[in-house]
Amino acid sequence: MTQKTKTTLLMTRRQALIAGSAAALAAPLYARSSFAQSNVINVGVIQPLSGANAQFGINSRNGIQLVADEINANGGIAALGGAQINLVISDATSNPTQAATVAQRMMSQDNVVAVLGAFASSLTLAISEVTERRRVPLLTMSFADQVTGRGFRNIFQVVSKASALGGATVTHTRDLARANGTEISRIAIMYEDTAYGTAQANGLRNSAAANGIEVVMDEAYPLGITDVSPLINQLRRTEAQVVFPVSYLNDSLLIIRNMRQQGITTPTVGGAAGYIIPDFRNGLGDLSENVLSISPAAYDQAPDYTDRFRDRFGYFMVHEAQEHAACMGVLASALEIAGEANPQAIREVLASTTFDQGWATVMSGGRIAFDETGLNIHAVPMMVQWRGDELVTVAPSEYAKAEAVWNA
Amino acid sequence: MQLLFTLLQTLLDGIMLGGVYAVLAVGLSLVFGVMHIVNFAHAEFMMIGMFIGWLCWHYLGLDPMLGAFVALVVTFFFGMLVQRFLIRPILGAPQVAQIFLTVGLLFALENAALMIMGAEFRSVTTPYQTQSVILFASGPERLLVGMDKLYAFLMALASGAAVWLFLNKTRFGTAMRATSQDPMAAKLMGVNTNLMYAVAFGLGVGVTAFGGSVVLPYITASPAIGTSFAVLMFTVVVLGGLGSVTGAIIGGIAVGLIQSFSALVLPIQLQNLALFAVFILTLALRPEGLVARRRS
Repeated sequence: MTQKTKTTLLMTRRQALIAGSAAALAAPLYARSSFAQSNVINVGVIQPLSGANAQFGINSRNGIQLVADEINANGGIAALGGAQINLVISDATSNPTQAATVAQRMMSQDNVVAVLGAFASSLTLAISEVTERRRVPLLTMSFADQVTGRGFRNIFQVVSKASALGGATVTHTRDLARANGTEISRIAIMYEDTAYGTAQANGLRNSAAANGIEVVMDEAYPLGITDVSPLINQLRRTEAQVVFPVSYLNDSLLIIRNMRQQGITTPTVGGAAGYIIPDFRNGLGDLSENVLSISPAAYDQAPDYTDRFRDRFGYFMVHEAQEHAACMGVLASALEIAGEANPQAIREVLASTTFDQGWATVMSGGRIAFDETGLNIHAVPMMVQWRGDELVTVAPSEYAKAEAVWNA
Repeated sequence: MQLLFTLLQTLLDGIMLGGVYAVLAVGLSLVFGVMHIVNFAHAEFMMIGMFIGWLCWHYLGLDPMLGAFVALVVTFFFGMLVQRFLIRPILGAPQVAQIFLTVGLLFALENAALMIMGAEFRSVTTPYQTQSVILFASGPERLLVGMDKLYAFLMALASGAAVWLFLNKTRFGTAMRATSQDPMAAKLMGVNTNLMYAVAFGLGVGVTAFGGSVVLPYITASPAIGTSFAVLMFTVVVLGGLGSVTGAIIGGIAVGLIQSFSALVLPIQLQNLALFAVFILTLALRPEGLVARRRS
């Protein structure tokens, strides 16, 4: 009896010793994870907050901030003991090299569980090189096909790919025109020569070919173009029935104004980005009326959610804010399911779950699930049209909130 | 027939565009001519001019063509302050110091604009933005010029002429040219060279700000807009010959024409390739610029 007690005691001492030294060795790790679990979860946000794309970056940050604040106000992540979301926000500028540097710094200093960003495809591609290497999930709403086309395991694209968006632009436009008695056979494409513009123009081109539509003008132009008259002069010489410009804001204003100046009234179908933000309306006034555009998500599909954005920031929830909010919503759900603030655990949950709760439902398609490449299989491109100060979904028909106006 | 119209239209577009480049670059040329300082921050004053023009339009309902005068005056005084406190101390300093200062100023101004104005793109809406004058029409072919471009061009021309008259026909202008040619001799003749430098810098950035406001109807203002024009401005002044007003105007029109004509034969993406090819050739064959700088 005595003997046995002694042995037990001895063993306990030895165990204690082992446990103690293990604890000492693991102390830094332990301290770090307990910090992450009991207090805050760091989520990286990399957006272009300065430079040419700053406005889009700020919209995106607002969307993420809104969701994070809502989660924190409702008691944080329950599965992690009410841990609060702490957004680590960094400026990617509008330059891919800088974006990669910022991502690198975030990985090594801030211990983030995931990264959300970075609006422009060229920035996202640069950041993804870093996050893939560090095995940290990157959730994005950038369109370019390469985003999920490179076999990366840690990237998740909540929107349709640019080629799909381009394809849907052509087919929806053809259907809208047909419904109004016009058969489209000749189109013009002009696009900015960035990752986004090139990929989307490719989609437009392929879809036109598949539908037997002739592309009578196909012109790329450099980012930051200041004079579009050569483009519009060229457009004037073609007999295009529809023009598809793919661009960010400044070029979109230039293109529309220059067309009107030259008396060209060809229907215009924009390629998202610059065509569906309040600044487009502010810059063009009545000229924006009835301009169509493709959009990877539309705020009128989920007014219960998007009105909260409008209430807080004073303008409608632009698509980049909405999609980034969906990214944040998905990440929060993934944290709840994973139950640990571990990037790889989160990655596994993201790759295997259908998200149909909360902010994940604001994406077109109403829910989000990623395929093996990381692409959201439920995303549906929407066609929206300007009506006064608002955008209205006009296609596909099952999502449409109003009849399209076709003024050819 | 169609080819002829295309060529004429391209010529017209090039001249309209070039006139504006010219007025933007006149200021840069003036600063270099008088103070022998390469002001890398110069394009930022164009951005400031655009914002002043926009603010005048937004809050006072002033057309950007009139707002341009407000931009000129405000930026003139702001430029004098910058000259007094930042540029004057480095006037005789090594070139590296001058580069550091003006490049630093570039970043400071851009980020200050970002803090004050935010990142939004600011665009004005005027009735003439979507109007154009049809100069000649025959069948489906039309030769036309946009009203916004035409107004900007005329304003640019007028301001270029005003600067030229000021420098060549006034006593103050003569004193300024004297300072540029030989500061020591000018000082001995009783010219207040410090005042000359301050006015030259103020006027230089003021004229560029003026140019910024007149292009507002067709270019959107944002804190980063200067970067798009910086290289263009330098190309214009180097093509024309650094330090001369006529040179900047000829250089400006040349750049406008090269850009618009290259878009006819080359993809528009290569617009600036054609421009820089001509630029490099000019530097190699005629380093003093198309119009040699007047030295006496």
